[in-house]
Amino acid sequence: MPKTTYDAIIIGAGHNGLTLGSYLARSGLEVLVLERRHEEGGGLCSEEVTQPGFVHNMHANYHTFVDMAPPVRDLDVRGHGIEYVRPEVQMASIFDDGQALTIHTDQAKTLASMARFNEEDAETFRRLYDEAHGFVDLLLGTLMYQPPMSVKELTKALATFGVEDRSEFLSVKLRRESINQFLDRHFTDPRIKAHLAFHGAVCSYTNDVKGLAIGYPLLVGKIDNWHLCLGGSHRLAHALWRDLAQHGGVMWSDAEVAKVLVDGNRAVGVRLSDGTEFEARKLVASTVSVEQTLLEFIDPGTIPDDLAQDVKTKIQHKDWTLFSVHLALDALPQYEAAAFDPDVDRAWVVNLGVDSPARLDADWEKIRRGQLVEPQPNAAVNSLYDPTDAPEGYYTGLLRQFAPFALADGGEGAWDEMGRWYGPKCIDAWRRYAPNLTDDHIVDWSVFTPHDIARKLPNMVRGDWMMGEISLDNMLDERPLPELGQYRTPVEGLYMAGSTQHPHGFITFGPGYNALQVIADDLGIEKWWARI
Amino acid sequence: MPDVYTPDWYESVKEAINASVATLKDVPSDSFTIAVEIVGDGVSPYVADGKVLRFLISLEGGQCAWYREIEEDDPSVKLDYRFTGPASAFDAIAAAQADPIDAALAGTIKVRGDMRFLMRQAQMVQVLLEAYSKGVETTWPSGQPPYDGKGAS
Repeated sequence: MPKTTYDAIIIGAGHNGLTLGSYLARSGLEVLVLERRHEEGGGLCSEEVTQPGFVHNMHANYHTFVDMAPPVRDLDVRGHGIEYVRPEVQMASIFDDGQALTIHTDQAKTLASMARFNEEDAETFRRLYDEAHGFVDLLLGTLMYQPPMSVKELTKALATFGVEDRSEFLSVKLRRESINQFLDRHFTDPRIKAHLAFHGAVCSYTNDVKGLAIGYPLLVGKIDNWHLCLGGSHRLAHALWRDLAQHGGVMWSDAEVAKVLVDGNRAVGVRLSDGTEFEARKLVASTVSVEQTLLEFIDPGTIPDDLAQDVKTKIQHKDWTLFSVHLALDALPQYEAAAFDPDVDRAWVVNLGVDSPARLDADWEKIRRGQLVEPQPNAAVNSLYDPTDAPEGYYTGLLRQFAPFALADGGEGAWDEMGRWYGPKCIDAWRRYAPNLTDDHIVDWSVFTPHDIARKLPNMVRGDWMMGEISLDNMLDERPLPELGQYRTPVEGLYMAGSTQHPHGFITFGPGYNALQVIADDLGIEKWWARI
Repeated sequence: MPDVYTPDWYESVKEAINASVATLKDVPSDSFTIAVEIVGDGVSPYVADGKVLRFLISLEGGQCAWYREIEEDDPSVKLDYRFTGPASAFDAIAAAQADPIDAALAGTIKVRGDMRFLMRQAQMVQVLLEAYSKGVETTWPSGQPPYDGKGAS
């Protein structure tokens, strides 16, 4: 008879659920993590979707908070058998005129690349990078790895400390600016601005959305901290699971939660869809969507009607998502732009053909109307830096194209057919810049559409890989709703600990880590991890 | 005027801080234990290169209740904040030649702990830092930054 009573039950074994579970297990609690899928990981999902031996990251590919996120240290993530590499040439943009801009881990090389386009912009970027790099720790500690403050509190503090007078780039007015406006204020060259806007977009900070400039300096502070998890992103999930297991925690896969059991107004356990029930002595934490948690898992009337209504109508999801093509290759891309900058052939991620922020803006406009855009995907070749993700002499490729979830013509269901048409279009777009990638060098390819995202991971509602829009009124303590912004719910002992919460999706560990702080406060758990 | 980093100087800084905070309204009653680590950087003549001057400071209601110099990090003491930086940066702040907020923003002085309190009590933090930076007339036996051309001891 399996054990059915635990101190803490966590719904969802993505990186936030596993992180929270591991901390709690290390704190002496009996922890059960329940996962609907056959394996842990959530967005940390690596699969051989093209050919055996080719490991493709279906969701999370870029780990940008390595060595910045406290759990990486606290949970000894590296000690559990994962290895990260920080590619020397982190990213590039190739423009239609055959020129290319490259971002390196060596700042001098990045500045030299930018200076070929505009020397003044390169110098501005140096000042921005240096300033952002100086305060990135402070910003992470203030904004990312603490339960959130309000924008009002933050701006008041920034004013009291006189940050505006001390900083060239930080300002309270950023909360009224888009990234485009920020870039226009500081930079001149449209190609440099395009690359910086693209960098924001890849991090889900859409460049034309008002208010998102507030997060941009932080993005620049980690612009060269992109890491690749060797052997596939899923290995991070394994590492977290191992830590959980080593400290007595249990993870059940193929365990779909149907109900959170509530007694009075207190969460006391969960029931699986097969009827199995587990009792939770102290807490239930959900890392899946707000809609699933508060509208499906608990009975109507358990939470106030106005909150239920807000969950139905006010949860904001991203208005664009990602269309992916995974490729098995027997040749590395050889870009024509390497004649201009040879380093582009070593760039981990390449942004293709976006010459100005205006081009991105035009795409957003179409995508928001449900239309497909002329593909200008970004291309990542993990095998450049990970020789283990493909058989010897072969390589993996990943094309990501910004796309709508529901197509204007046919809705999300149309993706099943449209994906097979759009995939080759994206490959053709890549080939325009790397003509050596002829069909005979493409061993196999497979698409992963926005509809696939939502079907595979239902918590990514409408293919929303950030599990909530990134906008000024959906960040900090307003995310996902003001009533839920501090990880607690109206049901005592039921917490929200996934990417629906501050800070957001991406492999930040932030939501799980911050929910932990609140849970520790509520339960009187000693914060052994808070080593000051 | 006390010499920098001497018991008299520490006492003077404590008095300056307490006098400044006493002028504030709505000072939170919370207690905090803070570690300050001044790391010899080969520039400051007051802390040998590689040596770390460590202090524990207790603040109660914004007032400095006690402080003490310690040899090693004491894991039994539960810290709320830790400030770490090169000695020349701390010297420059104590000589009112550099601004502590600038030093934190530039990452020269690292701050660890719950930033929310520091942000919410920005005014009190400003007053504390101002008192540290400008509240004591200090003597600099080996010269004040930039040390009158004298190197590290």
